[in-house]
Amino acid sequence: MVFDILKMFNDLMEFILNHADKLGAQYAEVRLEHSVDNSFILKNGNPDAAGFSSITGLSIRVIVDGAMGFSSTNRLIKPRIKEIVGDVVKTARASSRLVKKPVGLSEEKTVNTRYEIKQKTRIQDIEPDEKLSELMAVENTLEDTGINLPARFFELSDEVREKYYVNSEGTRIHSIIPRVGIFYLITAMSNGNMEQRMFQYAESGGWEAVKNWNLPEKIASEAKTLDNVLREGKKSPEGKLDLVLGPEVVGIAVHESTGHPYESDRILGREAAQAGESFVSPDMLNTRIGSDVVNVVEDPTIRHSYGFYLYDDEGVKAKKRFLIKEGVINEFLCNRETAYELGIKSNAAARASNFDREPIVRMANTFISPGDYGFEELIGDVKHGVYMKTFMEWNIDDKRFNQRYVGREAYLIENGELKHPVKKPVLELTTPAFYEAIDAVGNDLAFVAGTCGKGDPMQGIPVWMGGPHIRLRDLTLK
Amino acid sequence: MDAEEIKDKAVYVLKSALNQGAEDVIVNILVDKTHQVKFANNDIASTKTWDSVNMHVFLTLKKRIVSTLISDLSNRNVDESIRNLIKFAKSLKPSVDYHGIAEGPFNYGGVAGSCDKKIAGLSTENIDYVECAINKALNYAKRTAGVLYTTHLKDYIVSSNNIEASYERTNIEISLRAFADKNASGHGVSCATNLRDFNPGEAGKKAGEIAKQALNPVEGREGVYDIIFDPLAFANLLGHILGFASAFSVDIGESFLADRIDKVIGSEIVTLVDDGSLAGGFNSSKFDAEGVPTQRNVVVEKGILKTYLHNTSTAKKYGVESTANAGLISPHPWNAVVEPGDYGRDELFSGVNKGLYITNVWYTRFQNYRTGDFSTIPRDGLFLIENGEVSQPLSNLRVSDNLLTVLKNITALGDKREWIHWWDAEVPSLLPYVLVKDVRVTKPED
Repeated sequence: MVFDILKMFNDLMEFILNHADKLGAQYAEVRLEHSVDNSFILKNGNPDAAGFSSITGLSIRVIVDGAMGFSSTNRLIKPRIKEIVGDVVKTARASSRLVKKPVGLSEEKTVNTRYEIKQKTRIQDIEPDEKLSELMAVENTLEDTGINLPARFFELSDEVREKYYVNSEGTRIHSIIPRVGIFYLITAMSNGNMEQRMFQYAESGGWEAVKNWNLPEKIASEAKTLDNVLREGKKSPEGKLDLVLGPEVVGIAVHESTGHPYESDRILGREAAQAGESFVSPDMLNTRIGSDVVNVVEDPTIRHSYGFYLYDDEGVKAKKRFLIKEGVINEFLCNRETAYELGIKSNAAARASNFDREPIVRMANTFISPGDYGFEELIGDVKHGVYMKTFMEWNIDDKRFNQRYVGREAYLIENGELKHPVKKPVLELTTPAFYEAIDAVGNDLAFVAGTCGKGDPMQGIPVWMGGPHIRLRDLTLK
Repeated sequence: MDAEEIKDKAVYVLKSALNQGAEDVIVNILVDKTHQVKFANNDIASTKTWDSVNMHVFLTLKKRIVSTLISDLSNRNVDESIRNLIKFAKSLKPSVDYHGIAEGPFNYGGVAGSCDKKIAGLSTENIDYVECAINKALNYAKRTAGVLYTTHLKDYIVSSNNIEASYERTNIEISLRAFADKNASGHGVSCATNLRDFNPGEAGKKAGEIAKQALNPVEGREGVYDIIFDPLAFANLLGHILGFASAFSVDIGESFLADRIDKVIGSEIVTLVDDGSLAGGFNSSKFDAEGVPTQRNVVVEKGILKTYLHNTSTAKKYGVESTANAGLISPHPWNAVVEPGDYGRDELFSGVNKGLYITNVWYTRFQNYRTGDFSTIPRDGLFLIENGEVSQPLSNLRVSDNLLTVLKNITALGDKREWIHWWDAEVPSLLPYVLVKDVRVTKPED
């Protein structure tokens, strides 16, 4: 059966806008989502519960007397919807007595459009056993390595998410985005010691993406790395030294310490009790935060990226954002509400993880722009240092100032050459110290996928993060 | 949907699945009405309502395990979903790790104090509670942000193995952060299943008081400290610890508790309980996801790990009884409970000559789940303790240690407990102040 959301729900959505208007809402929007998803678990060689779901629901957002109201439901029956519209308007109006600063939205162009990521091999056409076989192939390849891996967990997931967004200003956007991903956690053991690797591959696209990842070879290679660290790894050097970071570490660092603190809702205090605030304030725009080789970009429009979209969840056209330009704070991520408060236009950062979540300011794909250095050049100019290729433990404080990354795969650098693996190098430093120490940026570029958490209730949102290899001078490693 | 409609729908799906060849079948319908008031900068940021009915169907076919979530409960859609689910199951491989679901019937006791119809009837009154909490905080601080939730949940379950039960619960909670300055904040929560136990003013007062006390922090020093964790702070770690007790986490290598049953994992004063049957428990339930009546599980008794958390299948694999913690894929804790100690709050602090008082933490992450190596970051008021007194506010420190070490180094527990549940303490917890000696604390390079 073809599920035509426009045909089925267009009238209902127009009714909601009209009814909200009739009840006195100054603004209304409706976002309907229909998602079909599948997930497969392989746990220590055994298939665990496989799941699929097909869910349809909508959310309504209104502004009444300067107050914002939001409601969502999966009970898509007109009489029930009519009650919900009445309730959301009533509750917003009641809350307006405590609203000292009325909510406003930046003025944006209205849009009427449709876009889609085309799949070369449709997820819907792949039988469940073939999807599970992909995981079994990884399992078999790991077994062939002969490495002692006492725990192996893999979860393969896919979804096709269709959205129809309408608002009272006339915008109408229909989109279809398929996504695929795999998450895994493997544990390697040798001589009573254990090392672990947790990682995620994910992008927007069809089944062809999974085939392109070449999972059996990649994950077997990770297992060999863990084994090598266990057998050959030595204590990491401590104290002042130079550091080369791989794209995976660069990605998490820019996501955590540029992307998040440049989210304008954090800067303005809206997420203060949950994800926190920011060490960055509006008056820090155009001030220096790092060395002049640092350029941090945020770009939702990268085709097939995990954070891909062309219009955000407020109907604003997506574009590339330059958060740091040549070491200077250049731009914050905004939705319409925060852009209005800052007196600027939205740069289309409003995202919601599902129909039942409010759109809030989010990242999409965050990375350091590539520079001129080859990997050999970066390493070649280090007398005493560490190359941290990947990480396991990380965290950052709620102002995004005090950050820490603990290496998973790392190597000693001596006189410009890579030596033996080192165990658990700890980089713990402030955000300005990180960006000021970058003296060279590689000419490569790679991304890793992640599910970024923010919002209350929690919204896990698909993102990419990455960059080239970079070099940092004269930092303390623990 | 009323109770009869829900029951009829669940039974219809159960019969349909069995007729199409399914063996073990569980149908669970959840009706959820939740309200939220979100506030920031002393203003209401938004009001929200969620209104949903969802049906979860779990079934097996010759040891092939599948599940689905259905939101459109029309007979046409439900029929199609079950047909698809059976087809889905047929195309999979069997799991040798699957050992069945619970066999009923069971006698269910009630869970006292779990449902307050006054909470279910609240609407715009929620804004008054928020105003009360904000005003209390503003007696000490300048700025507040937070969230208030009310939830009314109806849960109905029927299975192929003689299970039929229903349950209804309400919750009300507020989580408020107060700022006396950009770098001086405090956090308070109040969470309850009935209005009588809900105290938004107290949450606001605590947040405000800590914020005021946290004014003018100085950079902390790296080192090894005796630390008093506020219940809000330790709840974050406790949620991780009880989560790692899930047999699923143990199986996939995501637990430092693996291979430690009957071994010492904490000091003698540490008794950790998971209790889904607790009267007035914030996340209590009459039954788990298989319909097994919930119970009190002593996970750690006087420092010794006694059990993992199980559903029927993982329990059979481990040769024990289910602990009524299904999760059909992954068993989970209901309410994390720390048995109290003997120390009054003042007595606890007076026993620390030089240490730290951590009022809240967030962003706990692990270098190795099997060893328990982790770090977590204090947020909100963080204070030096000198000669038994809370003194200088500090900033920019991180707890970087090992969970086993932390549990083994617990030397004193408070005699009063608080319910904690907020954004970064997802497992509802009932716990006292916790004193841990010799904890490694690190700081960032400038």
